[in-house]
Amino acid sequence: MRTALVALTHPRPASVRLAAVGTLLALGSACFGGGSDPAPAVRTGDGPRDTLVVGSQTDIGNLNPIVYETASDAWVLHNVYLQTLDAHVDCKLVHEPALATSWSWNDDSTELTLHLRDDITFEDGTPVTAHDIAFTYEMVRNPAVASPRLSVVQQMLDGSPEALDDHTVRVRFKQAYDHITQLSHATTLVTMAKHAFADADPGTLRGHPVSLDPLATGPWTLTKHEKNTRFVLEPNPAWSGPASMKPKLNRVVFRVIPEYATRLVELKNGGIDLMDSIDIEDVDAIKADHPDIRIASRGYRTNDYIGWNSANPLFADKEVRRALTMAIDVDAMIGKLLTGKDGTVYAKPMVGTITPELCDAYADDVPRIPHDTAAATALLASKGWTDSDGDGVLDKDGRPFRFTLKTNAGNKRRSDASILIQSDLRAIGVDMQIATQEANSFYEDLRKRDYEAALAGWAAALFIDPTSIWGSDKPGARNEFNFTGYSNPEVDALIAKGLSTPDPDAAVPIWKEMQRRIYEDQPYTFLWWREELVGIHERFENTVITPSSLLDDLHAWSVPADKVKYAR
Amino acid sequence: MTTPAPTSPSGPSRALRRIGEVLPAQLILRKSWMTVLLLWGVATLIFGLVEISPGTVADKFMNPDLPPEARASVIAKYGLDQPWTVRYLRMLLAYAQGDLGVSLVQERPVTAILAEALPNTLVLSGVTLVVIFPVGITLGVLQAVRQGRPEDTTASVGALFFYSMPSFWLALMLQLLAPSLGLPISGMNDAVMVDYMTPTERLWDTARHLVLPGIAMGIAGAAGVARYMRSSMLEVIRQDYIRTARAKGLPESVVIGKHALRNALLPIITLVGLYLPFLVGGSILVETVFAWPGMGKLIIDAIQQQDTPVIIACFLLFAVVVTLGNLFADVAYALVDPRIRNA
Repeated sequence: MRTALVALTHPRPASVRLAAVGTLLALGSACFGGGSDPAPAVRTGDGPRDTLVVGSQTDIGNLNPIVYETASDAWVLHNVYLQTLDAHVDCKLVHEPALATSWSWNDDSTELTLHLRDDITFEDGTPVTAHDIAFTYEMVRNPAVASPRLSVVQQMLDGSPEALDDHTVRVRFKQAYDHITQLSHATTLVTMAKHAFADADPGTLRGHPVSLDPLATGPWTLTKHEKNTRFVLEPNPAWSGPASMKPKLNRVVFRVIPEYATRLVELKNGGIDLMDSIDIEDVDAIKADHPDIRIASRGYRTNDYIGWNSANPLFADKEVRRALTMAIDVDAMIGKLLTGKDGTVYAKPMVGTITPELCDAYADDVPRIPHDTAAATALLASKGWTDSDGDGVLDKDGRPFRFTLKTNAGNKRRSDASILIQSDLRAIGVDMQIATQEANSFYEDLRKRDYEAALAGWAAALFIDPTSIWGSDKPGARNEFNFTGYSNPEVDALIAKGLSTPDPDAAVPIWKEMQRRIYEDQPYTFLWWREELVGIHERFENTVITPSSLLDDLHAWSVPADKVKYAR
Repeated sequence: MTTPAPTSPSGPSRALRRIGEVLPAQLILRKSWMTVLLLWGVATLIFGLVEISPGTVADKFMNPDLPPEARASVIAKYGLDQPWTVRYLRMLLAYAQGDLGVSLVQERPVTAILAEALPNTLVLSGVTLVVIFPVGITLGVLQAVRQGRPEDTTASVGALFFYSMPSFWLALMLQLLAPSLGLPISGMNDAVMVDYMTPTERLWDTARHLVLPGIAMGIAGAAGVARYMRSSMLEVIRQDYIRTARAKGLPESVVIGKHALRNALLPIITLVGLYLPFLVGGSILVETVFAWPGMGKLIIDAIQQQDTPVIIACFLLFAVVVTLGNLFADVAYALVDPRIRNA
């Protein structure tokens, strides 16, 4: 604050020269500047205060728990609303009390009962009750809303969850399944204010005034939103929950800066305090030149893989896919593409689609196929692939081993990886062409299975349901992300068994066995899990940055008194 | 050869009469019809392009964690499951009634969304336009007067250099320089301090934030104007009436500043007309790099999210401004050049 004010009232010489232009420009802004808001009151008392400035790629769209879409929406929602239960990852998803203080299942795990706190109110003073939760889930089911969160109610009986009294919610499920997923389904939506939305038109819920300016129940409230410019959180004066969740910061200002390069310059120059998804090549420069910026990891949240389309005769045989995996040197690629100059490795070889963060279920015991060019050549030869015409490319029955790897344009890591893969495969006589495609049309081709091989990736889900990626094609199958046409009845059976096991610990061996079977079949050449990196100014303490949370627990963040930058 | 019309006193009534002379009702009617046809064409073309491009607004719900039913319900809600002919005719019917529709992503009226973005772009590109013409014209005149000398060559090379430079690259370079110039890198205001500023401080802050995007956006334009101005001026100063003016013993400043400049400015008027659409369209790249919340950002978001009503509305707006720009150029040209007015 001190420096900023000085800069404003005493512009440096370079700015003075531009003053004449500046005044002229400012006239325009006066007409359209959006008026002047009253300055927020200066907060005093209880300890040091500061402002956190976050660089956000996207603006908030809407802040309605059942229709929000972007990460920015989620950041605001999780601070402005008290979650029904807090969830964090500790080798599995772990739930902790928040709005609900306790919960229990009936004997056959088809009924879950949650007991709510009685001291939480919406910003307008109305108490938060079980009826609000029941209303929220009722709205999700309304087809006119077209909620993307429909999956949370699909395994619940109609009319569930229901309010047994003001502070007790009962959720009835169609059948028993994994308790973690059941709890997530029952608590993942923060609570809509029934009294504010009761008369709302479900068809335009996203544009409803309370969806844009929510009635806070959490420690923070949204005080400003200037479209595509910034949104501001300040402590909720009506916060009635535990004093330990009272914010320690004065304000959190989210600046909307769409361009990655601009956010990076702002981070380095102190214009923002936090930036997520930093590229590894930029991490090196930040570490070298900006000791005041700390690099934090959100863990292994995304992966890259090569999918082999099993409908293509080249890749129908799993031994051939195995040989291709042997030829590709994943460790060397990690060394070149995902390792910092100081030797820090930001990736981990991948053996399946369950993230290593879920370390209970993650199959760390699956033996990886070693990189071995000679063995790959021998394996292909045993399948009839030899270079019979001496042109440097393997062939079989007159057909050369030649195909195209598709990937999406605009991703440097993937295009670099494609080139390394191409060169590894050329060493065993496989001729791979590379085609980069605009992202929308690339994903459409994946869905239609209109490709030979594809370099793509997944973001990790924090509870386990492999059906959509690995389920076989059959009528009614919910497997629309099975891009490779993978089909293994044993894996189908394991998935069904794992999903219907209520005790997460009992399901662990099932999920490990499933990963082992899939790895044996090599529908993908699994490449790596990548760490997601966040740059944050070192003055912030108690920052809760985990696989499940980046800015979701802002009440805990604080700055020691001697490091406060914005005293107001 | 006609000598330039001497300056004559002109009040508002005279200006109106002149506009009436150059813009007969018949012409206005014809232009209006052409505009309606143009808008229909633009709406159809953009609708067609969005239609054949892969994906729909429901694609963001393609995610292994979401059930197919969620996407299906979005598709049904926005009528995307209906044949394109039905959606196209519905759209035309709504436009005919002056209804620009509701954004599929934000579920708010498109007009409200445009009203948020347009003023910001008008500030940035308006200021840019106001700067590039005087700068470009001055530079062009100086070059023409000093034709062939080192100053001219240097300026020509410089103008060509900036004219050919991609604006987003220039923008990124300016951002690297910004801290040493004490200028802000992005946004319209200091996002933290703006709430504590007096209105004057706030204006000054906005002005400082305008400098870099203004330069990134305007420098190529100014270079372009300078090129036009130079060649137009060179053509004029070879004319007989300029030699006459000099022979009369008029000082060089009057010859250039009065007799030559006024005539050389004529082609620049066309240029102003051509630049008007840019006033509304802004620059997608510059707005994105400098996080300026204007039309450029709006349209790129709408395209990425396949928000058809917003995309089409933006292009309709551009089409209207292009038409107005052309009309402006026609009228202004006739107003200042009696040869055209009397033709």
